[in-house]
Amino acid sequence: MEAGVTKSSEPRMMSRERITALLQGKPIDRVPLFPFILGFCAKNVGLPISTIYSDPEKSFDAQRKTHEQYGFDWGPIYGYASYGTWEFGGDVKMPEGDYEQAPSHSVNPVQSENDVSKLQRPDVKKAGCLPKAMEFSQLQDKFNTPITVQCGGIFTIAGNICPVELLCRWMLRKSELVHQILRLATDHIVDVVHHWTRMFAPHRVIPQIWEPLTTNHIISPRQFETFVFPYLLEASSKMLAMGVKHLLFHICGEQNGNLPYWAQVPVGDPGLCSFGKEVEMTTAIEYFGEKNIIIGNIDPQLIQYGSPQKVYTVCRETIEQAKHAPRGYMMCSGCEIPPNSPPYNVYLMGKAANDAGRYE
Amino acid sequence: MASEERIESVLGRIQDAVVQYDEESCRQWCRTVVEEGIDPCMAIVGGLNAGMRIVGEFYQKNRYFVPELLLCSDALYAGLEILKPHLRPDQVKVKGKIVIGTVEGDIHDIGKNLVKTMFEAAGWDVCDLGKDVKLERFLEEQQRTGADVVALSALMTTSMMAVPKVIGLLRNKAPRVKVLVGGAPFNESIAQQYGADGYASDAVAAVQEGAKLIGDKRSLGF
Repeated sequence: MEAGVTKSSEPRMMSRERITALLQGKPIDRVPLFPFILGFCAKNVGLPISTIYSDPEKSFDAQRKTHEQYGFDWGPIYGYASYGTWEFGGDVKMPEGDYEQAPSHSVNPVQSENDVSKLQRPDVKKAGCLPKAMEFSQLQDKFNTPITVQCGGIFTIAGNICPVELLCRWMLRKSELVHQILRLATDHIVDVVHHWTRMFAPHRVIPQIWEPLTTNHIISPRQFETFVFPYLLEASSKMLAMGVKHLLFHICGEQNGNLPYWAQVPVGDPGLCSFGKEVEMTTAIEYFGEKNIIIGNIDPQLIQYGSPQKVYTVCRETIEQAKHAPRGYMMCSGCEIPPNSPPYNVYLMGKAANDAGRYE
Repeated sequence: MASEERIESVLGRIQDAVVQYDEESCRQWCRTVVEEGIDPCMAIVGGLNAGMRIVGEFYQKNRYFVPELLLCSDALYAGLEILKPHLRPDQVKVKGKIVIGTVEGDIHDIGKNLVKTMFEAAGWDVCDLGKDVKLERFLEEQQRTGADVVALSALMTTSMMAVPKVIGLLRNKAPRVKVLVGGAPFNESIAQQYGADGYASDAVAAVQEGAKLIGDKRSLGF
């Protein structure tokens, strides 16, 4: 079947209805499309990419319009991988020019051992991007979309507080410093979610944890066990104890060796677990499917550079693999959809969900 | 004059120090090389570089990860710092020259730094331009150094789009230079599409690919 030739089946549910039903474990009409699409939305409506991170209102609006245009279901989200640098006293730089995709750290708050003892728990009402994140969540609340709150990831925050190479060296040489930073990162994440659950009904708050730096291209599964797992377990348990119903994990990149640990962390009922192209959907279902909604894992490079036929075929195949996951499945790119992706390829993700994702 | 047995033993200790990322021990045994009049070139090749070759194998077999690799490279550099000043001018030979950097718009340089270390360990003369490097700088530096290879790193799907532009600049002004690309968003197919001569998925593979590009198939990098 050639992409773009056949007419998609008409969906029978509205996006909000579909997502609500999925989270409640009720039947849905088709596989939802989860939007890991940020810079693309800005470009789509003629704004600079930085707007997505610097102007909550325009960001929300750009995402909402783009989601409607391409059929994404979940709702706008706010966040970026360098989270933690600014909040702990460093500086970030908003993306500019032709080649930048997201905010990046320009000054890490920790450059030496002495700096570690100077670190303080940020004021979650004022620190870094959090006021903008709150403004964004107020829009999520107003438009009745899921109130996802950016928490970063514990280890990834540590790698944004302190240059990653230094953090890696300290893991083997001065592990007590790493644990000090991880302690603060864990407390901070819990503080953020606590603040959000005081502003919104706890059951509507969905903390999103992204951990690109725990990839096995950087750390080993044993290092994950020592430096990530205990903190993750603690933070998740505390967040759920606040009345949060679902956590959203983006288990970014090559993390196959870490999956046995991730799978022991409570993610809610159901939890939401998103994976990169490196983790097969069948593997994800095996580890996480009984308790969690599976999200993933279309290769972003395929969306940017693949032929429409290939994009459509891979999306259909992925849907076939995952649509019957016990707690449900949402199709999504394995990481952010590249801002320069051909619009037609992005459209084909939705078409594949409509064509192959229907539940009888 | 140290005996052959002694030389073998000292080189073995240096190799072990690199593999076990024992920077102080590496420094001590390299000082021993100097004190006992052992050929520093031999110590670099048979001790430091040999150690890094094992480290590279460990990395590719998932026995070592980035933290270990970084500390091994610290031990390597500690040893090189002691031995290099004692090389005779005729011993300062390089396998090849390479200019390396993370392209404009991208501040991610862990991968690039590991590639740099592995090239240095393999005896290449490396010119590291750092991160967020303006595109024209790659050409300028290649022209200045006469490098055989230019290695371009990018981790973002936006910054990777700078890579074909650098390749275009190089093809115009330095058509014989080989271009090696790497970073998370790349694969063989995209590298080819961009006009690169080589692609590597990790630091060890990068050195092997670099060796192939300059026709040094014998050593497979090290």
